[in-house]
This record gives sequence, C-alpha cells and structure tokens, in this order.
Amino acid sequence: MIIGIDVGGTHADGVLLDRGIVKAKCKVNVSQNNLQESIIELLSSLLPEKKELLTRIHLSTTLCTNAIVNNQLEKVGMLVQAGPGMNPDFLQCGENLHFFSGAIDHRGQVQKIPALNDIRSIEKSFLDKEINSIGIVTKFSHRNNEHEIWVKEQLKHVFPHFSLGHQLSGMPNFPRRVYTTWLNSSLKNRFNQFKNSIEQGLKNLNIDCPCYILKADGGTIPFEKACDFPCQSIHSGPSASVMGALALYDNIGDTVLLDIGGTTTDISIFADGIPLLEPYGATVAGRPTLIRALQTKSIGLGGDSCISCDNGDFSIGPKKKDVPMAFGGQYPTPTDAMIVLRSIEAGSLDKAKMAMKSLVPEKAPEETATKLLGIFVATVRKAVTTMIEDVFARPVYTVSALLEREKIQPKRLIAIGGPAKALQKALNECFQIQCDVPVDYEVANAIGAGRARLTLQASLYSDTSTGIVSIPEMSFMGPVRSYFTLLEAETRLAQAISTMAKEMGMFESPEIDFIEQLEMNTVRGFSTTGKIINLKAQIRPGLQRIEESI
Amino acid sequence: MRYMPEAANSVGLVLFPAFDWCISPSHPEREERLLYTRDQLIEEGLEDVHNIQFFNPELASPQDINRVHLCVPSAESVMTNSHFISAGGAIRAARAVMQKEVDSSFAVVRPPGHHAMQTVFGDRGFCVVNIEAVMVEHIRRHYGVRKIAVIDTDCHHGDGTQDIFYNDPDTLFISLHQDGRTIYPGSGFLHESGGPSAPGYNINIPLPPQTSEQGFDMVMNRVILPILDEFQPELIINSAGQDNHYTDPITNMNFTAQGYARLNRNLKPDICVLEGGYAIEGALPYTNLGIILAMAGLDTSHVKEPDYNPDNFIQSAEMNMAIADICEQARQLFTDRDTMRKKYSGQESVVERKQIFYDTTGFQVGETRIYQLCKQCPGYSQIIGEGLNQHIHAFTVPFNSCPRCQQQARDSFAKQKKESDTLTVLQDRIADIYEVK
Repeated sequence: MIIGIDVGGTHADGVLLDRGIVKAKCKVNVSQNNLQESIIELLSSLLPEKKELLTRIHLSTTLCTNAIVNNQLEKVGMLVQAGPGMNPDFLQCGENLHFFSGAIDHRGQVQKIPALNDIRSIEKSFLDKEINSIGIVTKFSHRNNEHEIWVKEQLKHVFPHFSLGHQLSGMPNFPRRVYTTWLNSSLKNRFNQFKNSIEQGLKNLNIDCPCYILKADGGTIPFEKACDFPCQSIHSGPSASVMGALALYDNIGDTVLLDIGGTTTDISIFADGIPLLEPYGATVAGRPTLIRALQTKSIGLGGDSCISCDNGDFSIGPKKKDVPMAFGGQYPTPTDAMIVLRSIEAGSLDKAKMAMKSLVPEKAPEETATKLLGIFVATVRKAVTTMIEDVFARPVYTVSALLEREKIQPKRLIAIGGPAKALQKALNECFQIQCDVPVDYEVANAIGAGRARLTLQASLYSDTSTGIVSIPEMSFMGPVRSYFTLLEAETRLAQAISTMAKEMGMFESPEIDFIEQLEMNTVRGFSTTGKIINLKAQIRPGLQRIEESI
Repeated sequence: MRYMPEAANSVGLVLFPAFDWCISPSHPEREERLLYTRDQLIEEGLEDVHNIQFFNPELASPQDINRVHLCVPSAESVMTNSHFISAGGAIRAARAVMQKEVDSSFAVVRPPGHHAMQTVFGDRGFCVVNIEAVMVEHIRRHYGVRKIAVIDTDCHHGDGTQDIFYNDPDTLFISLHQDGRTIYPGSGFLHESGGPSAPGYNINIPLPPQTSEQGFDMVMNRVILPILDEFQPELIINSAGQDNHYTDPITNMNFTAQGYARLNRNLKPDICVLEGGYAIEGALPYTNLGIILAMAGLDTSHVKEPDYNPDNFIQSAEMNMAIADICEQARQLFTDRDTMRKKYSGQESVVERKQIFYDTTGFQVGETRIYQLCKQCPGYSQIIGEGLNQHIHAFTVPFNSCPRCQQQARDSFAKQKKESDTLTVLQDRIADIYEVK
C-alpha cells in the first residue's frame, strides 16, 4: 500500500492507496511554517491497520516553493567560470558570486586552465562570510565536468555542502545552469532539516518504509537523494494535479487540463497521453532553470478576478482586487456571474445581481452574467491556442523534423478547481470538445502523488576524435574507442539510466525513451576524424503499474 | 527584477543548421557546419534573453524562387527541400522585421546563396538559390519596399547577387571580399560597377589577403557608411559570410569575432543572412554570437576566440595604404554614378556576354544578356543561356520597370517562337508572373 500526500497552500490532502484504489482519505489544515507537523498528522490518520503493509510514502511538498517565495534562501558561495561569450555580469545569485578563470569550449575541450590563486582568494572571502553551501558552475560543463570537479577538490575539506552544475542537469544553457545550482545550494540546509524532522516523526509512528518526494516533472525521487537535489521538489503541486488527471482517466490521449482557481488558471497539455515537459526547465521566481518540469502556463484569470468594462467590452483579470461582491467584496467578479446563473449556490444572490447591474445597468443580470462567462472561456481558449502554437514553434534543427512536425489537436478538456463545474457548459460550447469536470479533485492530487513513478533524464555526449564519452548526470567521463557506434551509445545510456533507477529504488527494468539523437561525423580537411554522438533519454512521467505499487 | 539580459534592440533569430543535409559528406557545406554554433548559442542562453526571439524557417514557394531566378529546367528540379527551407528561413527573418515582430533579424541558415546567379543550371560555390535575392524580391512584392542596400561581408565576391541586381539602381550592392586574383570566384573588381541603367550601384571592394580589423574598419568608415548615408535605403541587408576569419580553412584573411561584432554594430543591418564561413569550430560559434549580440545592442567585449591576441591583428603601413587607395576608388564610383549613366544615353540596347562556371559539378554556361534601355526606368532584359545541352531564352521585367517596357517584354515573349530544345520564359516581377513555353 502507498500513502500519497499533497500539501497545498491552505490544507494538505492524503490518500491510502491499495493497488491504485483509495482505501482512506484525509484532509488537514496546514501551517506553512510547520509543514512536518501537518504531514505527520495526515500520515498517522491514514496508516493501515497493519503498518507493515505500507510499502512507501509519496510526498508532494511546498517546502522549497515557500522558501523561494518568502525569500528564506540561505547564503550561497557561487564559483562560476564563464569563458568567452556573453558578458556574465547579469547573473544574480546573491552577494557571493565570483568568477574564476579558465575556459571549456563547445566541444568540451579545455581551452584555458583555471588558476588556483583565483580559487584560494574566493575561498577566503567565503570563509570570512561564514558560508557553508557552495555552488560550482562552468560553461559547457555538460560536455566536460573537469573544472567543476577540480574546484570542488580544492575546497572539499573546507565546506560541507556542494552543488555542481553538471550533476543537476545534462542540458545545455549556462545561465539556467547557474541559477539551478544556486537555487539548489540555497535550499540544502532547510531541506535536510525537513527530512530529519519527518524521519523523526515516522520513527515515532513506528513506520519504516521508504519515502519519496514528488518532483516538478511529475516523477518521484527518494527522500535521501532529494537532499542532494532539493530544487527538484519545487512546483510539485501542479505536477501532482497533472498526475492526478492521468490517474483518473484511462487513455487520456490529447487533452488539455485546466486548473481554474480564484486568481489564476493553470493550463497543462497531454499529447498522446504524456504530459508535456518544459523544453529546458521550470522558471522559478523569475529565474530560468534546468529543473525538469511539466509545462504549465498560468494566466491571471480566475473566479475572483476583477472585471473592467470599457464601452461595453469586458475584460477579466489579470488581477484579483477583492472577494466577489456576493461575499461582501467591492468589485464584480466572474464568481458573481456564476451565482447569478445559479451554477454556484453560495453567497448573496442579490449582491451578485447588483454586481452584474453595476457593469451594465440597462440589461438583465442573467444576460450580463452569460456574456461574462463567455468572455472568460474565450480568454482561456486563446491562452490554450497560444500555448499549443508555442509548443509547435519550438525550434527544430533538421529538415525532416521541420517537415514532419504536427500541431497538437486536443480532443478533450478536463477542468478542475472551484469554478470548474460552473464553467463546464461554457467551456464545452467554446472549445467544441468534450469537457469533463471530475468530482473531489483535491483527493486526485494526492492520488496523483501516490501513483507517480520514478522519472529520470540523462544524456550522453561522445566524441571519438577527442576520445571521450561523458554522461554528466552520473558525473561520468571516460575514454571511448574510435569505432563507438550509435547503438553502443544507446545501450550505454540505457544501462546508465537503469543503474541510476536501481539506486533510486526502482527494481523492474524501466521503459526508456530516447528524446534526442544526433550522430554526426567530424571532418577536418577532407577526411573524417571522428564522430560526435549526442543522446538524451528519459524515464518519462507516468503512473506506476498497479501490480508494482502494492 | 531581470535575471537575464534585455536586448536594447529586439532581434529575431532563424537558427536552422539542417543537421541532415550536406552537399557531400566531407564537403565544407556538410551537416556539421553549424553544430558548434548551435551549441554555443544555446549554451549562452540566448533563448532566454529578453527581446531575442527564435523562429523556425518556413519553406519558400516556387513562386518566390521564380520571381528571381531562371532555373533550368525548373526550380523544383534544381532545388532540394533544404534549399526551399534556407530561402524560406531568410524570408521568415525578413517577415519578422517587416511585420515589426522584432527590430532586426538574422537568418543563421544553410546552404548559402550569394554565388547563385539569375540563371540557375545547378550548384555553384555551394549555392543553388540566392537566398538574399529571393528575400529582397519577396519583401518588395509583399511590403512595397523600393530602395534596398545589400552589403556582402563574405570573404568571397558575391557574384550571384551582383549578377541579379546588376542593372537595378534601387538595389545598392556593395561586396567587400578577398581580391579575386587570389580566390574563388575570381571576380569582384572595381570596374564591375553596374549595368547601363545602374552604374555606380554595384560596388566591389577587393581587399588584399591578410586584411584585418583595421582594414575592415577603414572600408566601413570610408566607403560603406558614407555611401549608405547618401543612398538612404529603406532596408539594409548584410550577406553575413564569416569566412574572413583568421582560422577559416578556405580563405586567407585575418578578421575576428570582435571585428565582425563591430562591423555589425556600425552597419546596423535590418536583416542579416548567413553566407559562408567554414572555420566551424574556432570561428563560427564566436562570430555568430558576436553578430547577434551586436545587433541586439548587448555587450560584445567578452566574445573572443579562446586564442585571441590583439597583437596578431595589426596591419602593415603598406597594407593600410593599399586599402586606403581601394576605398577611395570605390567611393568615387558612387559619386560618379550619374556621369557614368550619361555615357549610355541615346543607346537602345547594350549587349554583354559571359561564361559562368559551375564548380560543384564542373560545367560551363554561356550567357548573353541584352539590356533594353529606357529613359524612364531601368528597362527590361533578355537573357539567352546555354549549358549542359540545355537552352533558355528569357524576358525579364524588373519590379521598377515602366508600363511601356513591361508591355514590350511581354510582346517580345509572345512573338518568340516556341522551340523544343529551348525554355522560353517570361519573368514579370511587376505582375508576379513566371510563364514558360
């Protein structure tokens, strides 16, 4: 049996699952300053009678997201090698960002060796400031990690915590690597404390099963491992709700998931049953990162958004000013329209009607309300269309990819959140596709967390002319024979992923997708000098098979 | 708060390295050519820079090609999908600017195009379709722009672009390149200064081998910028070849990423289109980045090749004098343009003959061009070409032709007897018609 827990902004939901079936569910209020207490409270009420039947706990927590939003990040000492390229002065990682000399080029070749003096003087400044979490990043470290590792070697006896850029992601994009490393370093202490207190709580409850953390990409990571990569636990709320939809619907196919709240609507897309991922990673408090994440587009449009009226044309959002008028607020909102149309039975109907009258005095409140909801769903539709266009417009680099790309055509909508039911009909009419509104969706988030499986992404870069193969996510670099083939590279990367998966507690052999494959001869003069192979593969986000989740 | 830089001028990038297309596996124009450039641009995080936008290319239509070229036997048969995409990449870049999606744009696409002439019998100098020319006429057709300057900064003479716009006084073409006596295609001398209706509007600046930053700066300041100032184009296009780089394997110049960045900062092109550049590892990642950052108005001072040493780029006094002399002569050509045009007054037509060599597969095309002169407009031309046992006889009406010349060209085409071994073509850019009989 599995316990799935989803911590939200105001309350936390939990479910006890037996072969995918909900055996118990529970909801508690949450104090964001004392998450562990709410979590332990939930756990204790969900425990099966025979504790030994509990095989694992899956936890989606707001700990890291809150720390970022509330600016409770710890001081980080950043050592960055930028090499030639863009002026790196724009990078903002607190007050302790230092650049060191040296350069690695696009092929992973060392162009300039870093100076030890640089490192020593930076070390001194970090010690003076009592910093103990260190982030080290070089440009192109996904091709060659030796400078990142070398710097750590120089400092490892002095500082307790290190985050190295290449270990966090094998993806390119240097500024994102810097921000990811910085965020990760700044969360380490807090996350470790959290883990200790949860473990203590589990001990008190006499529970002795592995605990997993839900990641932004809809997958899980062992608690222990998450201590090295705490940044991956951000945005796990939206990913729990996407995984929840996957758990509720068989054959989800090409579907748009709308999470409609009071102030925002979050849009996610499934293509062929697989949730779309961000091309590089999540944007966290404005900073672009390489944290693998499900793609969610958030628009400022919700039940409590304020409405402005200009010459009879309404526009809704993006701000929320007050509660709806039906609940004593000062400004008309879409929620008031829903109350007028009786699709929400709450608040004061009279005040809601007044809200509609205040917008268009000469018309019946019902007419204005209908028009408003029409505008609401049309705005959602426009955002969905833009999002699909953006996915279609992602850069491609080969003739065949350009000619073969296809635009996603959703066949179904799933709407969740407070106003979803009230908007179902309007959504259905506007999108002209089936619109489902599942009941009791908050529990679905917890089910989604509970049924999520381990995810992984790893990449391989081999260059037979320099004789090196690397798998950055494993910190692996080694020699490669001159006749290394694509097939061998694929086998090597698949093995690496299986090994990493096993280390993380996945015992069955994983299904691995290759998401990028590039094979190219290098030619100098008029003869072939070698071959570059660049692969990216993943265990994609998905549900655990029922028989495994016992 | 901004966590990524913000470009002062917005830039559109069409980055299309065509990783699955080559002329032949070890040819300079092979799959690997833009691999390291792509890797550098992505690693720099350009996709996240505010005001830099990436676009996928579109496919140019056969109509876009036929508006410019006379393909023998047809556009579809001489071109591959890659060529339609490369030209379509340039068109996409142009549209981004014309529709004000961005301030300026750069098509980092391949294969290049500036050796492709008006008649196309095959591949010459790695080029089949002149992607700048196709873009220029697309812009004129769809956005009503008239005066355009094309500055060709590739190391090789842009002989194809010169050929296409040779008689057009609304297209100022300036090509700076390594002296044709020392490099392919062996042309691009000062005296090739424009057809009878556009003398002085085709300006070649042949530079001695080993020309460095100083030399290029001199050309910019003494020739290009003053002439642009006088010509007042509505659009400036840079045929941005990057093979003047000191590490390029098939040229002998001594230019740098810093130099390319400065050139573009001063030129302020509306649209750049990548041409040559075959130092794929040591140059292109840096020169392309330098150009993009310069267009965006961002700092380029850190864009330096790993082995960059300013001492290597100092020119001798002798070379400076030689380049100063070339600059002066080139500048004079534009000053003398009206006087030169008067030379042709009273003539009804001018005939020119040339041999065009297609180096990639190795054959020769003989071409005769008859310029029909007109006092009101640049006039229409007849082009008679023969190569590989194929013949073409074309009547071509430029976009800026007067109605009388347009009618004359149509009448001549109608009167021309259809012959089985000859492609008889009417290319009317005003009506946007391409007719074959």
